[in-house]
Amino acid sequence: MYTHNGEDVFVIDGHVHLWDATEENIIHDGGEQFIQCFYDYHTAFTPEEEQWDMETYRQYGQERMVRDLFRDGYADMGIFQPTYLTDFYDEGFNTTDQNAELAQKYPERFVLNGSFDPRDGDEGIEHLERLKDEYDIQGVKLYTAEWRGDSKGWRLDSEESFRFLEKCVDLGIENIHPHKGPTIRPLNRDAFDVADVDDAATSFPELNFVVEHVGFPRLDDFCHIATQETNVYGGLAVAAPFAQNRPRKFAEMMGELLFWVGEDNLIFGSDYAIWEPDWLIPAVMNAELTQEERAEYGVELSLDVKRKIMAENAAELYDIDIEAKKEQFQDDEISREFGLGDDYEEAAAD
Amino acid sequence: MSTDSPDTADASEQSDGPVDREAVRERLDRVDDPELDRSIVELEYVDTVDIDGGDVTVEFVLPTAWCSPAFAWMMATGIRDEVSSLSGVDSVWVELADHMHGEEITTGVNRGLDFETVFEDAADGVEEVRRKLDEKARFARQYDAVEALREAGLDSDQIATLTRSNVDLGFGTDTAAVTVRDGALSVTIPHEPLDEYLEKARKTGLVVDETDRLFADREGEPLDPDPEAFEAVVRDARLAVSNIKGQATICESLHESRNGVSLD
Repeated sequence: MYTHNGEDVFVIDGHVHLWDATEENIIHDGGEQFIQCFYDYHTAFTPEEEQWDMETYRQYGQERMVRDLFRDGYADMGIFQPTYLTDFYDEGFNTTDQNAELAQKYPERFVLNGSFDPRDGDEGIEHLERLKDEYDIQGVKLYTAEWRGDSKGWRLDSEESFRFLEKCVDLGIENIHPHKGPTIRPLNRDAFDVADVDDAATSFPELNFVVEHVGFPRLDDFCHIATQETNVYGGLAVAAPFAQNRPRKFAEMMGELLFWVGEDNLIFGSDYAIWEPDWLIPAVMNAELTQEERAEYGVELSLDVKRKIMAENAAELYDIDIEAKKEQFQDDEISREFGLGDDYEEAAAD
Repeated sequence: MSTDSPDTADASEQSDGPVDREAVRERLDRVDDPELDRSIVELEYVDTVDIDGGDVTVEFVLPTAWCSPAFAWMMATGIRDEVSSLSGVDSVWVELADHMHGEEITTGVNRGLDFETVFEDAADGVEEVRRKLDEKARFARQYDAVEALREAGLDSDQIATLTRSNVDLGFGTDTAAVTVRDGALSVTIPHEPLDEYLEKARKTGLVVDETDRLFADREGEPLDPDPEAFEAVVRDARLAVSNIKGQATICESLHESRNGVSLD
């Protein structure tokens, strides 16, 4: 648990990965380009002394992930957002089944999301049903720019996609996380266009759409959609690391996001292992709006607002009872392993 | 634009002396990163400029190897066209270094080919992409221009109804004069935000004639003078600024990390 000026702040990291980009797993040039591109994002926003070497970055494994998130990283829980990319990686980059191995070891600490790809047709529907059945998933991460054979992507507002979204409604999978963010080589930039979220969000008011990476470089398009649709959320992965190397830009962007999207619809995510929560969470928690920014945007980035962004909003979407979690974490496996139980006991005593 | 021959310098304009480095730099400064709406010189994309008599070679590098080929193309053709129109320049060679499509872009631009010929799969033509980005940049630049006018005391009604004929850009060296109420009131504001705004407003075809309204919303529609509606457009323009600045933050960080370039 993170402590900010003596106050406990529960953290649900809304966007984490456990990937395999080892050379043995790469079956397409795109796979190597993709991980190299991720690594460029890693080094661009990570303090020099915290940067990883490429070998570690390709595959860091379960033990390191658990340490980085929970022992060193202040996170209390994490939400797995799988990225299949099976045309690039033999066994997938990080699939639901792969993530499940770790998620099921610590089910109290992880939320395991699934995924679907409308291009898979009936098989894809069956896959989704199996994920619900096997893991009781409550959310899906969607990668509209993923390559599949000759196809270089798909749209969230297509007929095929709507069939899958209807299936999500039927199965009670309420949280839809489309990746809409900065270009990733070799994927097509236009496949990350946020426009298709609008129609989907209007057509499925019973689902929540968490736009990962707040739509950059189309932050404005995303904000317009999020203002109109109450079921559209912004995932802060990629935006959050601005707090570390461009704190003023981060504050301005938070001013915009709080103004347009609102404090109840923003969700923190580190995008681990692109970035690590141990330095990212303090950077975000230390961010402040200047008096001029507060006046200009008419918003606050107070501790209460930060609590919402860091955990409460995600908890709402995933039915997580934070107080019950604090109690549970006084003596769960992770807390015993890393000696964290006292933190939660103190938090409960407050 | 992209079909122009690279060697457009008119023989009659050529001078005998070597091409002036500073003049080349000034030309390069006119080339923008279309997404970030900033000069490639300011962004430090220009790696080397070699001048050999009338032959100029410009090598540039982008923040990443996967920056949009369409954007890279616009910058490469911009460099070619700006430098080749300089007096004394016989030939221009533009080289895009360390880019996934560096070879195609370098060859295509120096041979004067079309983007659509080189990139057959591109969904949108390069001119269409350019137009969209120019419209975004026009709207973002409007924010500073309108703020300057508000600071000078004009209200929403006065600003919304301004036309090109109300503006005298040549009023002073650093100031522009803006006249409202049929000439009954005149204010002066800093020259720069209005000048920069008008550059994009002209380019997007929004402000061409003297009677054209100066400002418009994101879609290019005339502004509603109602204070509340006006304020909504101001906030939307501020968002357009934040979007560009946010994206610039990502690009700068990548540029710094990959190419060791720090803009601070």
